[in-house]
Amino acid sequence: MTEITAHAPAPVAARRRFRWNGTLVTGLAMFAAVILVAIIAPFFYADQAAELTGESSLGSVPGHPLGTDTLGRDMLARTLVATRTTVLMALAATALAAAIGVGFGIAVWLAPRRLRNLGLRLIEFFISYPGLLLAIIVAAILGQGAINAVIAVAAASIAGFARLTANLASGIAARQYVSTARLLGVPAHRIALRHVLPNMAEPMLIITAQAFAGALVEISGLSFVGLGTQAPYFDYGTLLADSLSKIMTNPILLVGPALAIVIVSMSALFIGDGLAAAANPRSNAKQSQLTLREGETSALSPADDDALLVADGVTVTHIESGRELVSDVSFTIRRGEIVGIVGESGSGKSLTASVASRLLADGLSASVRRLTLGDTDLTGKVPPAELASRIGLVYQDPGTALNPALTLGSQLSDVLRTRMGMNRREARRALLAAFKDVLMPDPEGRLRQNPHELSGGMNQRAMIASAMSVKPELLIADEPTTALDVTVQREVLTLINRLNTERGTAVLFISHDLGVVRRLCDRVLVMQRGQIVEQIDDMDNLTVERAAHPYTRQLLAATPSVRLEEDKA
Amino acid sequence: MSTTLSEDLTATDVGDAPAPTAHQAGSRARVWRAFLIRRFTGLVISLVMLVLMTFFIVQLIPGDPAEAIAGPDASPTTVEAVRDELGLDDPMLVQLWDYVTGVFTGDFGESFRYGVPALDIVITAAPYTITIAFAAVAIVLVGGVSLGIAVAIATRGDRNRWLGSLFTTVTSILTSIPPYILATFLVVIFALWLAWFPPAYTLAYGYWQSAILPIAALSIGSIGGMARIVRREAAVVEEMDYMRSARGWRLPAMVRYAKHLLPNVLTTSLTLAGIILTALLGSALIVETVFAWPGIGSAVIRAIAEDKDYPVIRAAVFVIGAISLITTLIIDIVLGAIDPRTLGEDRD
Repeated sequence: MTEITAHAPAPVAARRRFRWNGTLVTGLAMFAAVILVAIIAPFFYADQAAELTGESSLGSVPGHPLGTDTLGRDMLARTLVATRTTVLMALAATALAAAIGVGFGIAVWLAPRRLRNLGLRLIEFFISYPGLLLAIIVAAILGQGAINAVIAVAAASIAGFARLTANLASGIAARQYVSTARLLGVPAHRIALRHVLPNMAEPMLIITAQAFAGALVEISGLSFVGLGTQAPYFDYGTLLADSLSKIMTNPILLVGPALAIVIVSMSALFIGDGLAAAANPRSNAKQSQLTLREGETSALSPADDDALLVADGVTVTHIESGRELVSDVSFTIRRGEIVGIVGESGSGKSLTASVASRLLADGLSASVRRLTLGDTDLTGKVPPAELASRIGLVYQDPGTALNPALTLGSQLSDVLRTRMGMNRREARRALLAAFKDVLMPDPEGRLRQNPHELSGGMNQRAMIASAMSVKPELLIADEPTTALDVTVQREVLTLINRLNTERGTAVLFISHDLGVVRRLCDRVLVMQRGQIVEQIDDMDNLTVERAAHPYTRQLLAATPSVRLEEDKA
Repeated sequence: MSTTLSEDLTATDVGDAPAPTAHQAGSRARVWRAFLIRRFTGLVISLVMLVLMTFFIVQLIPGDPAEAIAGPDASPTTVEAVRDELGLDDPMLVQLWDYVTGVFTGDFGESFRYGVPALDIVITAAPYTITIAFAAVAIVLVGGVSLGIAVAIATRGDRNRWLGSLFTTVTSILTSIPPYILATFLVVIFALWLAWFPPAYTLAYGYWQSAILPIAALSIGSIGGMARIVRREAAVVEEMDYMRSARGWRLPAMVRYAKHLLPNVLTTSLTLAGIILTALLGSALIVETVFAWPGIGSAVIRAIAEDKDYPVIRAAVFVIGAISLITTLIIDIVLGAIDPRTLGEDRD
C-alpha cells in the first residue's frame, strides 16, 4: 500500500478534491424543487386548499388526482400548500439545534478539563436517548402546538451537533498549526473563530443535511400523533393523520402527505450522502492481474534455470494511472539461499515480493517473462494448497498483520486445517511445535491469547512460527524487523537465520536497512524507483568504495557498520 | 462514521483509562472488572440523570403546572387535586426528595385518568414495545450485516459495478422513508389489499400476526442503513493487513469472510445497533400509533395529547430511558466479549 501511494501522488492528491456526484446533484435538484414549491404554492393553491368543494371524500378523480378529504378539500393542493409550513418548521428546528449545539460544543471544548468531561458526559447521555422521545418529553412540558414542536425537535437534535462540534474541535485543536497559534499566545476564542470553525464546514454541512431530514420526519411525526401543528393550521404530519383516519375507505389520501415527507427527507439525505461521497470518494481499485509476456529474451543466465524461485522481468503497473511502479526486475533464489532486496520505501521492493507470492493488491497489474517456483509456473492456475504449503509469509507489522478478534491458536491453525489437511488436534500440535521452534515462552498459553495481549516481538515470532509451520520451501519476509525494537530486531534476525541453516528454507528478505540485510543475506539486490540498480554477490567484502552504483554508496554511507559475529559465522 | 466519532470523543479525554497494552498477559479478568465497574458507574449516573429529567417534566411546565395540567375548563377543586397529587405546594427540594424516594419504591404516583399506579400502566404496556423494538433490532442486525457483507464481497475490486449502484440507490431510498410512513404503506398493501395481516392490533388475530407489520415498518429502513455501513466497513476491513495475511495463508473465501472478516465488522455493527435501537425505540413510539399497538408509545402519547396524565408520562419516560440505557450496556458487554480491545476504551 505504501508503495502505491508513494509512487502515485497524483490520484492521492485528487482524492481531496471536491467531486460532484449523481447523488449530490439529484439531492440538490430535488431540494431546489421543494423550496420552489414551498415559496410559490401558497400563492397559487391556498384558496383551492381551503375550498370546501362539496365533493367530499373522493378517490383519485380527474381534477382531484389525490382525492379530497371529508370536507371536500383537494388533497394535492393541501399537500403543496403544507410544504411551506413543514419546511419552515424543519428549517427553524435545524437552525436552532445547530446554533445551540455548535455553541455548546465549542464551549465544552474551550472549558477547563473537568467541566469539559462533564459536558461530554452530558452530551453522551442525551445522544444515547431516543431523539423522538426527547422531543415528546419537551412536547409534554410545553404542550401541543407548532412552535412547541419546533422547540421540541430542536432540543432533541442539539446533542448531535454538540458532539460533532466537540469532536471536530478537539481533532482540529490537536493539529500542528493550532498548537503553533496557541504557543504564539493567540487567545482561545480567536483560535476557535480563525482555525477551528472553518475546518468544520464540510462535516457540519453533512450533519446539517441529515439533521434537517431528521427534523422534518420528527416534526411531521409529532404533528401526526397530535402533538404538533393544531387546526386550522396544517402541515404534512396533520394531513397524514387526517388521511390515516380514512385509510379504510379512501387510502389514496395518504399518497400526498406520505410522498411529500419522503421526497423532502430524501432530498436532504441525498445532499448529505452526496457531500460525504464528494469529500471521501470510494476508491474502486480494479481487480489485480498477473500476465505472462511471451517471446522476450530472458534477462537471466541459463545457469539460473534450476533456481528455486525464478522471477524474470517482473513489471508492475498502477492500472488507473498507467504508471509503472516496478520495471523489468529479474532475480533468482536458490534453495537454502537468503536473498535480500533493499531500497527506500516506494522503491518497489514489496511490490516485487507480492508478485512473487501471488498476492498483488487490487488496482495493480503485473506481467512477467517467467515466474516459477521449482517446477510450478506461478503465472498459471496454481492450487491454493500448493501456494500455502510452499511459500511462507512474514510481514512488516505483526501488530496489524494478526487478526485482533481471533486468538493466535485459532487464526494461525486455519492454514494447517484448510490447506494442509490436518484436523483440529493435529493442527494444534503442529502449531505448538512451531511455537517451540521459535523459542516462544509459554507456547500453550500463547495459543489462547489475542494479539493485543502480546508484545510486537512475540507476535512476530508467532507469525514466523506460523509461516514455518507449513514447512515452506521459500519464506518471504517483508520488512519483518522494521516495526520492532532494536533488541527484538536482533532476535528475529537470528531466528530467521537459524531456521534457514537448520531447515534449508530459502528466504527472500526485504528491508530498507542495508545494515540489517548485509548481516543476514548471501546476496542483495538494491532497488531504486522500481528497478534493480545493483546486485551485490560478495557481501563480506562490501565497502563504500566497492559499490558500483551511487545509490548503494549512499545507503552504505548511511548505515552504521554492523558486526556480524554472532549469526553469520 | 460512528466509530470515528466515538474515537474523536475518547481522544478528548486524554489520560483516562489507558487501553490495555501488550505485556499484560493474564490480565483479562482485571480489564473486565475495570470495564464493568466503569460501565455500571456510568449506568448509575445516567439513571440518576433520568430520574432528574423525569422529575422536571412537571416542574418545567410554564406558568402554574397544576392549572396547565388540569386544563382551562377545570374547576378549582380539580386544580387543587392535581396540585395535591403532584405535591406542587411543597418546596422544590421536598418535592424532589418525595419524587426520588417514590421512584426507588416504584411509585410514580397514581394515573390521573385510570386511578391505578402509573408504573403499572407502563409495565403492562412495556412488553409490547420491547417485543417489536427488539425483534426489529435483531432483524436489522442479521439482515443488515449479511446483506452488507454479501454486497461488499460481490463488489470488491470493482467487480459487479451495477450491483453496487443498485444497492446504493435502493438503500438510500429505503433509509429516507420514515418508519411511520412505511407503516401506512404496509397497512394499505398488506392489510387492506392483500388482507394478510390485521391493519391494527386486535386479539382476533394472533399476537405475532399483529406484530409483523409493526416490526417490518420499524426494521426495513434500518436494514438499508445498517447494510450500507456494514458494506463500507467490510470494505475497510478487507484492506486491513490481517486480511492480507489471511489471503497469504490462501484460506478459502468462506473462512476468510466468515471467520476473519465478520468479527471485525461486527464490532462496528454492534456499536451501531445500539444507536439504531435507540432510534428504533423513538420511532416505535409513533409507529405504535399507526397500528393501535398497545405499547408504551401509545400510552405516553395518549397521556400527553389527551389525558395530561403526568404520572404516566413520567413513568413511561423513565422506563423507556432505562430500557435504552440497559440495552446499550448489554451491547457493550457483548462487544467486549467479541473484541476485548473495546474494553479499554472509555466509552460511557
